[in-house]
Amino acid sequence: MVAATHHTGDGNGWRKNLARLQAIGIDAVLIAMALLMVELLIVAFSGRRGPTGLLLSAEEILDLLHYAWVALAGLALAVVWQLFYRWLGATPGRALVVGVPEWERDLEWTHTLRGWFAAVFIELTFFAGWLITELDLFAFLTKFSKARDIVYGLAHPSASVLHEGLVLLVQTIFLAFMATAFAIPVAFVLAFPSARNLTRGSGAARLAYMVARTFMNFVRAVEPLVWALIFISWVGIGPFAGVLALWVHSVAALTKLYSEQIESIDDGPMDAIKATGASTLQVLRYGVVPQVIPPFLSFTIYRWDINVRMSTIIGFVGGGGIGYILKPRVDLGEWGEVGTLVLLIAGTVWLMDIISAKIRERIV
Amino acid sequence: MSAAVVPDSGTNPAVRIADLGMVYRGGVRALEGVNLEVVEGEFLAILGLSGSGKSTLLRCINRLIDPTEGKVWIFGQEITALSGGELRRLRCQVAMIFQQFNLVRRQTVLTNVLSGALGRTSLLPSLVVSFPQEERERAQASLDRVGLGDRVGSRADALSGGQQQRVAVARALMQEPRLILADEPVASLDPALRHSVMRHIEALNREEGLTVICSLHDIDLVERYATRLVALRDGHVVWEGLPGDFDRGTFKEIYGEDAEPASNSGF
Repeated sequence: MVAATHHTGDGNGWRKNLARLQAIGIDAVLIAMALLMVELLIVAFSGRRGPTGLLLSAEEILDLLHYAWVALAGLALAVVWQLFYRWLGATPGRALVVGVPEWERDLEWTHTLRGWFAAVFIELTFFAGWLITELDLFAFLTKFSKARDIVYGLAHPSASVLHEGLVLLVQTIFLAFMATAFAIPVAFVLAFPSARNLTRGSGAARLAYMVARTFMNFVRAVEPLVWALIFISWVGIGPFAGVLALWVHSVAALTKLYSEQIESIDDGPMDAIKATGASTLQVLRYGVVPQVIPPFLSFTIYRWDINVRMSTIIGFVGGGGIGYILKPRVDLGEWGEVGTLVLLIAGTVWLMDIISAKIRERIV
Repeated sequence: MSAAVVPDSGTNPAVRIADLGMVYRGGVRALEGVNLEVVEGEFLAILGLSGSGKSTLLRCINRLIDPTEGKVWIFGQEITALSGGELRRLRCQVAMIFQQFNLVRRQTVLTNVLSGALGRTSLLPSLVVSFPQEERERAQASLDRVGLGDRVGSRADALSGGQQQRVAVARALMQEPRLILADEPVASLDPALRHSVMRHIEALNREEGLTVICSLHDIDLVERYATRLVALRDGHVVWEGLPGDFDRGTFKEIYGEDAEPASNSGF
């Protein structure tokens, strides 16, 4: 017992130092961001002109900023604030990591430096965001006429593309279906090593968890659009490339959803099956699978729904489906035909949504 | 029940526990220096407040939890030294009944009972829930025995709490065990239904000669069913004796000075 207490004592000291470092880190980032945003606003409002003679755009302003110096200044200020914290009060980082000190807890934000800093920071964020995203209320309110053609076209769909659109719509639905169906078995198998609660046992299990998770996150991080480009060069333009692209993405997405479902099961039945002398696979089959099948089905139908919507975009780059004929019409400004295709997609998505909601209602 | 050849079963320890200790990750100590011997055929009740280590002790016996210190022997085999297939084969002889029944809720009563036979069923058929005819008959017989023979096709979660626990007893029976570990088997049942489950466990003990280790916190039940008592407090064995030796003083010793026995507990 004594040894244990001593050990935790050491752990606490180490943890305290780590917390202090974390607090400084958070403060440094916050202060540096605040400095950057102040600088951005000063440059913007002092009206520095760019090479074109116009007011600098936000991008150009950000190009002029010297990140390294700002980061160092932020760090220095964060350290200074930490050092003076008894007089000045808690810093935002300290408040986050360690908690607000007793004497400051009941004060209103207007009476603490931390409160003022937070208020100014939030305001700066909005001002800077306004500049960086180039918000232009004037254009939004007065220049609608330029988009009138498109809106008119969308509202007056032309029948010339209806037949082709319907054929490709069917292709889109099947494309999404095949991608989802092929993803199910792979995701089902990968979900078990990706679930934390099943992989605590041995070193090998923990390694399997790490590998499965890393693989999954990597695959998920790559956009389906990129996968489509890869598979188009691999198997050629057409719906098969689209199926492969959506399949890869669906495997990763379903694995994540499935494994999270496995992590939330009731351990009780698993223990009971284990206690009968069952082997690991039997424990999974009897203790885990029956608990997760209904939510798995529900996720899968939802995924099919998502894949129908995604396959439109995949079609833009040549992955088959209705997106394939939508893209050239957008480029050529055939807004009536675009309107037809958009209506077809919207109708399908709406139908899929209703059907999948109904099925999921039944299952869960 | 299973015709295991155990010579001189009266003195053979079914379970022997030596210096058992358990410290959970995060440093919580649940058991310390537990020494215990359970003779074959006994109905041993484990008493103690919640948090005193009863569940941990039971789960260390069949290694649902791996104890951090000490050793456990079951029928002469050291379970704490086994792993893999050997561990599973020994577990086949040890059935467990849980406070929360732990049935697979979405499956039928029959499948739940059949899962008691998993330890002796070959892997591939069991993965597609295909059991030999004789196992199905045995499952039916087990259910008949707990009075639920007509509910084989029901989903487990369609049954009441008392019925679910009886299915769990049938699952334990299906396992053809020599030892039953029961962790507060009736604590989540309506008091009126407690005996309906306890009687079945008692029958296994009296009629089949199975060893039972059962944690209970109801003194009434302990006095009625147990042949011997062990009391835990803060992870230590603080008292061992026969049901007749249990009195108000012992009660205070186990449950603390503030505790009062329920008015109907007979002393």
